Amino acid sequence: MKKLNKNLLTAAMALTLGLSLTACGAPAEGGDSQEGGEPAIIGICQYGQHASLDNCREGFLQGLKEAGLVEGTDYEIHYENASFDDNMAIQISQSFSAEDAAMMVGIATPAATACYAAAEDKDIPVIFTAITDPVGAKLDSGNITGTSDVLPVEGQLKLIRALQPEAKTVGIIYTTSEANSLYSVEVYKDLAEQYGFTIDAIGVTAQSEVTQAVDTLINHKVDCLSNLTDNNVVGVLGSILEKTNAAGIPVYGSEIEQMKLGCVAGAGLEYVELGVQTGKMAARVLKGEATCQDIPYEVIENYSLYFNSMSLQELNIALPEEIAETAQDVANA
Amino acid sequence: MLEIRGLKKVYNPGTVTEMTLFDGFDLSVPDGQFVSIVGSNGSGKTSLLNIICGSIPMDGGDVEVDGKSLRKLKDFQRYGTIGRVYQNPSLGTAPNLTMLENLSLADNKGKSFGLTRGVNRKRMDFYRQELAGLGLGLEDKLDVKMGALSGGQRQAVALLMATLTPLQFLILDEHTAALDPRTAEAIMVLTGKLVREKQLTALMVTHNLRYAVEYGDRLLMLDRGKIALDRAGEEKAATTTDDILQIFGQISMQ
Amino acid sequence: MLDLISATLTQGLIYALLSYGVYITYSVLDFPDLTVDSSFPLGAAVTTVLLIAGMNPWLTLVCATLAGAAAGLCTGLIHVRLGVRDLLAGIITMTALSSINLLIGGSNQTVDRATDTIFTAAPVMGLFGDLSLSARKLIVSLVLAVAVKLILDAYFRTKSGLLLRAVGDNGTLVTTLAKNKGNMKILGVVMANALVALCGGVLAQEQRSYSAVMGIGQVVFGLATVIIGVTIVRFFTSSKPAQGMRKIPVLRFLATPQGTTAVLLGSILYKFCIQIAINLGLPANMLKFITAVLFLLVLVLAGRKGEEIIHA
Repeated sequence: MKKLNKNLLTAAMALTLGLSLTACGAPAEGGDSQEGGEPAIIGICQYGQHASLDNCREGFLQGLKEAGLVEGTDYEIHYENASFDDNMAIQISQSFSAEDAAMMVGIATPAATACYAAAEDKDIPVIFTAITDPVGAKLDSGNITGTSDVLPVEGQLKLIRALQPEAKTVGIIYTTSEANSLYSVEVYKDLAEQYGFTIDAIGVTAQSEVTQAVDTLINHKVDCLSNLTDNNVVGVLGSILEKTNAAGIPVYGSEIEQMKLGCVAGAGLEYVELGVQTGKMAARVLKGEATCQDIPYEVIENYSLYFNSMSLQELNIALPEEIAETAQDVANA
Repeated sequence: MLEIRGLKKVYNPGTVTEMTLFDGFDLSVPDGQFVSIVGSNGSGKTSLLNIICGSIPMDGGDVEVDGKSLRKLKDFQRYGTIGRVYQNPSLGTAPNLTMLENLSLADNKGKSFGLTRGVNRKRMDFYRQELAGLGLGLEDKLDVKMGALSGGQRQAVALLMATLTPLQFLILDEHTAALDPRTAEAIMVLTGKLVREKQLTALMVTHNLRYAVEYGDRLLMLDRGKIALDRAGEEKAATTTDDILQIFGQISMQ
Repeated sequence: MLDLISATLTQGLIYALLSYGVYITYSVLDFPDLTVDSSFPLGAAVTTVLLIAGMNPWLTLVCATLAGAAAGLCTGLIHVRLGVRDLLAGIITMTALSSINLLIGGSNQTVDRATDTIFTAAPVMGLFGDLSLSARKLIVSLVLAVAVKLILDAYFRTKSGLLLRAVGDNGTLVTTLAKNKGNMKILGVVMANALVALCGGVLAQEQRSYSAVMGIGQVVFGLATVIIGVTIVRFFTSSKPAQGMRKIPVLRFLATPQGTTAVLLGSILYKFCIQIAINLGLPANMLKFITAVLFLLVLVLAGRKGEEIIHA
């Protein structure tokens, strides 16, 4: 407690000092010197605690190492988690800029936009990951690059067709304010016809509305539900599955964690791999081999198939052999 | 001239607790008259004031001032020419505003509340003079927040504020009931003085029979929505507290 | 260090605009207005969409302010004219507005670096063009926060301002002054949401982005800054130096700060608490917890010290 007190006092003093100094119009000089012995600071701003976002970060660190960089001598990681709070992300990014980070990494869109805004003054390179639509977010040009996590919708639709040859309607629940979800729903709608599906998508504005949306979809007699990586929906997956299992409707997931929770099967992105790819891009920038402007953002296309044998059994769905061979069973995992 | 004709007021209509308070109540108060109204609880004293001011709706009849009906006017519109002092001293002033700000608001009643300066420093001498007239030493406290003053002081200022601008009549709603006896006495003396000096038409509801007898030119006693006693002029002047108590007793016997 | 202070100060100053709005509804009018959570992103949405369309950045802020005023007008009318409880009136507008925000700006919008914002356009460039961007951001937000504060202070001293303060203080008095307190409430809620939307607009320009979820928790932030600010100011004004200062006419205004000064300080302090939490270097997941502890500390320290002085 004493330490906190002291810090508080320091901050108060620093505030007054800051006021008087900045009033004199002293401009903050941008320092981009990371040469010599000092390791380069990499500031990682992760939007929130979330299995796939955590995997991205783990993969990113792995990617840096795989590219031959050594933590402690080449770089130093400053990691902060914004608890899904945009304002927190803003202040975290500003603290990275203030300590003259050599690079800022934004995991998920709000974190990336906050990093990019804070990086503007000193023109610090920004690397993003776990952004579905970098073009829509206008993060596709400038001193910024990264990797995009477009859902493997095509693989998912193929999988559903293989497991449910008779299925016609796929129900999707998404949050109307989540850009990634909006984008993915459009992809689903574009590809559905090709595989003989129609999409019944219901938008919600809050997590509390999700279970009502499930009731509506069950009432619409959809043949199955397919999940996006929508936080509001995934957050209440347990209660969704209770309702759908009772109605005998299978739910397909979009990442391994969802299958573990009881989704029957799904085509899931390899978020660790996405992170590794991002880490390697970052390493090129840090080594001075390229600038962000030189490297276009990359979309990861590799995905894996997962299934939960217990959930499949419960709903009497047979798994075709060719899928069983390549896919991984996560039941009891 | 205040004229109430055929007033009807029913509480909780259509329920088991339905209660008709006024049914064809008439009253007329000529300009310049100071009317004291007494009556037991539930006799309709406060309801009458609230109906005149539009705080509660009436179910029939009409209230007219100088021949114009108030029926269609909202409460705040009626207060354009009515001043009112409440039983609760905190209802008459804004506690977080200074006395000067409170007086300035009251002084501006009837004019527009635009973007000109809220406090008129030129009026300060006038306020001080008026406050000095209250005899409570408030004239030096213009910059004090109202909330910091005692109930009696606040009630005195409220009384002053209510009578600062020209009025058709003043409504006094048991305005001494929440004060200690000495302060109540002082506020009453002040009321009498203000009403006389400004030649106001006033309706005063009170529980204190002595005040009802000592002050005002007319005395009304209400009983279950009807006028049980109405004395004015010489007749009122000759009435004592004992007379009133006696009549009170007779009513309660019935 | 200086960079960090300047950036944090900038955030505090920008957010002070929102705090002023919450101060008007919560403190002055005694109206718990939840419209804020939606009128904040409304201002941001309007600003970014118009910026992208090529409008002058200052003009976009005017539009954002007007949009916020319209949102406030809805809440005010629903409460006063339709007789819906204040809390619910705000919730209704907030809910409806979140759809309007999606219509205007979609789920999010980004303004690219080539587009001028108030921090990179005239007249700021003409005056401070050779300063760094972060210095310009600080100056512009300081000017905005102080200017709005002075305008509000001046307004509260006008006849209309006195009446507005009286509405929250004692509604009955306003009625007996023959004024419609409902209209004054509407005016207050309109002003408050105009400021909140202005804040959203300025932040959107500073961040070059808008997101539909950026309003979540802004009411709570606003309330916290008002309470922290008022507590700190009360602590300060009850201290011995302040008591002494009050006796000196020139310094008297320093010892008796306006409510707007309190919330301005509250907003800055709030942002510093978060920044300190970030920089304590504790586990990333503990950020919110540390922030909460810091707030508690500020309130308890200020609250207790204030008491000691009063009892002494």
